[in-house]
Amino acid sequence: MRIIDLTTAGLWVAVIGLFLPGCGPRPDPSAGELVVYSTRGERFVQPLLDKFESETGTRVRALHAGGATIVNRLKAESRRPRADVIISNDVGALEHLRLRGLLRGFEPEGIESIEARYRALDNSWFALSARTRVLMFNRDLIGREEMPRSVRELADPKWKGRFAITRGGNSSMIAHVSALRREWGDEKTIDWLAAVNENAGAIMRGHGEIRRAVGAGEFAFGLVNNYYFHQQLREPRNNNVDAIYPDQEEGMMGAVVNAAGAGLIRGAPNEKDAESFLEWILLPENQREFSYASLEVPVNPRIEAVGEAAHISDYRVHDMPLSALGGVWEDTRLLIERSGLALELR
Amino acid sequence: MIRPVSSLKRGWAVLWRDNPPGAALLFSAGLTALACAVPAFYVLERSLSAGRGRWQGLLDTRIPQLLGNTLTLAAAVTLIASVLGVGLAWLVRKSDLPGRRAWQWLLALPLVIPPYVGAVAYIIILGPRGWAREIFGERVFDIFSFWGVVFVLTMFTYPYVFLICGAALKSINRNFEDVARSQGLGTAEIFWKVNLPFMRPALGAAAILVSLYVLSDFGAVAMLRYSTFTTAIYYRIDGYDNVSAAILSVALLALTLIVLGIEVRARGRRRYHQTSEVFLPPRPVKLGRWKLPALALVLAVFACSLLAPAGVLVYWASLGIARGALAGEFWRFSANSVGVAALAALAAMLLALPVVYLRSRHPSVVSGLIEKLSVSGYALPGVVIALGLIFFFSRYLPMLYGTFALLPAAYVVRFLPQAIQTGGASLNLVSPRMDEVAKSLGCSPGKVMFKVIVPLVTPGLLTGGALVFVSSLKELPATLLLRPPGFDTLSVRIWVEAGEALYHLAAPAALLIIVLSIPPLKWLLARR
Repeated sequence: MRIIDLTTAGLWVAVIGLFLPGCGPRPDPSAGELVVYSTRGERFVQPLLDKFESETGTRVRALHAGGATIVNRLKAESRRPRADVIISNDVGALEHLRLRGLLRGFEPEGIESIEARYRALDNSWFALSARTRVLMFNRDLIGREEMPRSVRELADPKWKGRFAITRGGNSSMIAHVSALRREWGDEKTIDWLAAVNENAGAIMRGHGEIRRAVGAGEFAFGLVNNYYFHQQLREPRNNNVDAIYPDQEEGMMGAVVNAAGAGLIRGAPNEKDAESFLEWILLPENQREFSYASLEVPVNPRIEAVGEAAHISDYRVHDMPLSALGGVWEDTRLLIERSGLALELR
Repeated sequence: MIRPVSSLKRGWAVLWRDNPPGAALLFSAGLTALACAVPAFYVLERSLSAGRGRWQGLLDTRIPQLLGNTLTLAAAVTLIASVLGVGLAWLVRKSDLPGRRAWQWLLALPLVIPPYVGAVAYIIILGPRGWAREIFGERVFDIFSFWGVVFVLTMFTYPYVFLICGAALKSINRNFEDVARSQGLGTAEIFWKVNLPFMRPALGAAAILVSLYVLSDFGAVAMLRYSTFTTAIYYRIDGYDNVSAAILSVALLALTLIVLGIEVRARGRRRYHQTSEVFLPPRPVKLGRWKLPALALVLAVFACSLLAPAGVLVYWASLGIARGALAGEFWRFSANSVGVAALAALAAMLLALPVVYLRSRHPSVVSGLIEKLSVSGYALPGVVIALGLIFFFSRYLPMLYGTFALLPAAYVVRFLPQAIQTGGASLNLVSPRMDEVAKSLGCSPGKVMFKVIVPLVTPGLLTGGALVFVSSLKELPATLLLRPPGFDTLSVRIWVEAGEALYHLAAPAALLIIVLSIPPLKWLLARR
């Protein structure tokens, strides 16, 4: 009896020992580590993180996921934060987190290069690149003059099956819907969402998929951020695409603008590294990198934009201040869910 | 006071048929069973704590939709895979199909391709921007449709039916067929009246396996933009709506239980026996003018289920390797994959042993229950296990939550049945007399276990470990949901890169997983 007790105990020690490496040594803060949660496309962010890693020797561990995922994860972890920095492609999500007390302000060096309307009151987040919602179309399938002039027209049954949008949980989509609510009110917005849900030829995981689908002629057009259009133009094939900035006519709401940026998590386990990362990213060459990787327009006017990008003063822009997106973030998500447009994929 | 204690003791002895196990053995096996029951239990618990409103909201709209999607998909795939699998098994086992020996294993090979990898391959071939469109100038077939999903899932699940029914066909004694033939029955009638009835238990088991697979598959379904319970649960967890995810999971588990219930009923109803003492191997049926069409069918299935996807992957992998896809990153992802899969395999082997030993040497209601709980994971979809572990770890082991320890834990719950099955099979070959002899020579139970049993069942356990290793390597949904930041595995990379249409980066990882899956499949085939 004694032996079996000892040996089985040994067996269990072995099993537990196997699991220990995972829980064992928590990363030593002095070794320099940074945990980044990012809601932007992995391919746009990872090179920048690699650059930081190689320049500073700080090891970066990144989690790339959707906007709603990251925001909800940060909320779930708020009592035991695991992330240091959030990189978001939606200022609304950043401001929403700030209002919930999940971000912490500080005075990063170089912050004055960003206009006040593109950063939080306490500088707990700041935007670096701007993007506009456009309707990108395939010129083989549809002419510019046939295209809908306003996003409102996407609810028209005549477009049934001809366009693609992202799922409702996409951060750019959430921000866009917030702008529509402000312009139209909730009732109209819900009707629009339900109709678009019915009309869309496909509801896709992300904008990258939409731009390829439109480029290849799978759909006549798609609702994307403008830099996806710029990216498709640079493809060696399937690049016969064009884009219209919607709602430009007199009395229309104007195109919806959003921005991507970064924020500091309150209670970040690697605070010092997080602060140095945010100051590092404000260096002009890294600001440039941040926008160029995805062909976005830098928020800082001193950083030159990529060639094909239309300047933000060339078209009519919706007048909602970006930080107003934060207060309605959660409401908009619930409203999208209520409308029947799947936050998840259909 | 003495009486109740002694009657308790008596009851305990009766329960174990006068052969009660040692406390340590019972404890370790019991703990394993409890650990395996944790995910399902917490999912159930959380779903019950969700208010009526949440249930109502989902029951009104989402659940009926998902039920329709999931059931039609499972029914279509099961039906087509069964017909295809039985047909191919008959051709290979009962007819004079040219090269039938080689086809016996060639047609089983698609099992090494995880269906989500197959889905990627078919998006490359048949997708809206795929090769087929370039060759024919227009879209031949919409892979992002119901029938697209059916096609992909069928191509990678029919081998289950093919293997299981093939084994059953092989074991049918020729006497039955000879009698039928002497009564003037033709080949078709013999198939319907003799072969098929004999195959029914095997076909039932295989069909259940296929439908359980369809119910639990996430990767292929999600990549083909279809929506079933698993994808809906995944996206709910991804959006941190865990309560809705729990409710959907309970609905999915109910569906799984119904499928399992069908099997139990079907199995109980009819029995077939091999009566004759003399076994005669089957005499092949002459195909005659059907030989060419039959060969064409076999070739077509082989091309669709193996040659085409493998070819696509080799092509893209070579492009990727030429562009430097095998950089340091790739080996880091591979090391992560192999590391967590190896941990899971090792843990599964160690945990399977007490369960198997208890069941075999101390049969009772309790040991039966322990075994049932320990193998319950095979019916649990990866998304549900992940959800259960999220609930459990975030509440009771927050220091482990968010570390990579959750990955092997999920793999063990899901794939422990494989180690229990192989370990049990090899323990059954060891006569209990061996234990008795060792005990009569004065060995303690512990010594019997480690000096006698462990050496004898090690081959079986190792095989089980290898199966767990490969299954863990391929696992996608739980890995996606439970991995810590910066910890990507091969399967995660396939998902991410394929989602971005970067096939040259997805293909090398997919090929590596396929190559690593071949040895355990060889073992499975050799056993039949």
